[in-house]
Amino acid sequence: MTLLHARTLNALGLLGCCAILLVAFGCQFALGELPCPLCLLQRAAFAASGVGFALNVRFGPRPSHDGIAILSAIAGAAVAARQVALHIVPGTGGYGATLFGLHFYTLALIAFVALIGAVGVLLLIADRVRPEPLVGRGAGTFGTACLVLFLGVVVANAVSTAAECGTGLCPDDPTRYEALDAWLGR
Amino acid sequence: MMVLPFVGFAGSVAALIAGRRGLAIGLWLAALIGTLALYAVHATSTLNLAF
Repeated sequence: MTLLHARTLNALGLLGCCAILLVAFGCQFALGELPCPLCLLQRAAFAASGVGFALNVRFGPRPSHDGIAILSAIAGAAVAARQVALHIVPGTGGYGATLFGLHFYTLALIAFVALIGAVGVLLLIADRVRPEPLVGRGAGTFGTACLVLFLGVVVANAVSTAAECGTGLCPDDPTRYEALDAWLGR
Repeated sequence: MMVLPFVGFAGSVAALIAGRRGLAIGLWLAALIGTLALYAVHATSTLNLAF
């Protein structure tokens, strides 16, 4: 495997994080369901995991970058597992819509575990990465596009969260964009 | 307050795009600690169960 291959695999991992955040974002606006505080923390953990992939794309694969992705995914899995536990008692219902029959926090837990597994595979094959003189230190066109997309998705989440919660803590059961309504005087 | 982790991670991505690896990792660490602190606040919220 060449350095270019390793960077491409990490760019695909970064695209996966972007896709997860975009699907959650799409459901937020299409279904009008505001994310709860634990949902927002899971989104933040996906963004944190993406930073590990992004570092690999920008600076080349290093074990420390993979450690960033794994630690972030463990934090996200803890939050998702906590939310699954909140709704695991029969009769307590779930929070939000479902996708493929599973609530988003359940899917998030599966995704975080899968992400840790994927990074494990990347670490296994990282030993075999050989330097390629033709590849520069930059991320390349595809890598740069992925980095810019990821930055845009994270900034969009920041704006959405600010509109929902403002500068304080988010309500446990959000029903409207409180801060945005306050700013607009509604 | 919940927006702070996203701001931190966005700053981290911006820093790594600009080639500032150390700053990117520092911002990631600060934002992750903030995320865990907010998790500690919300993980102990009272659960309203109806049987």
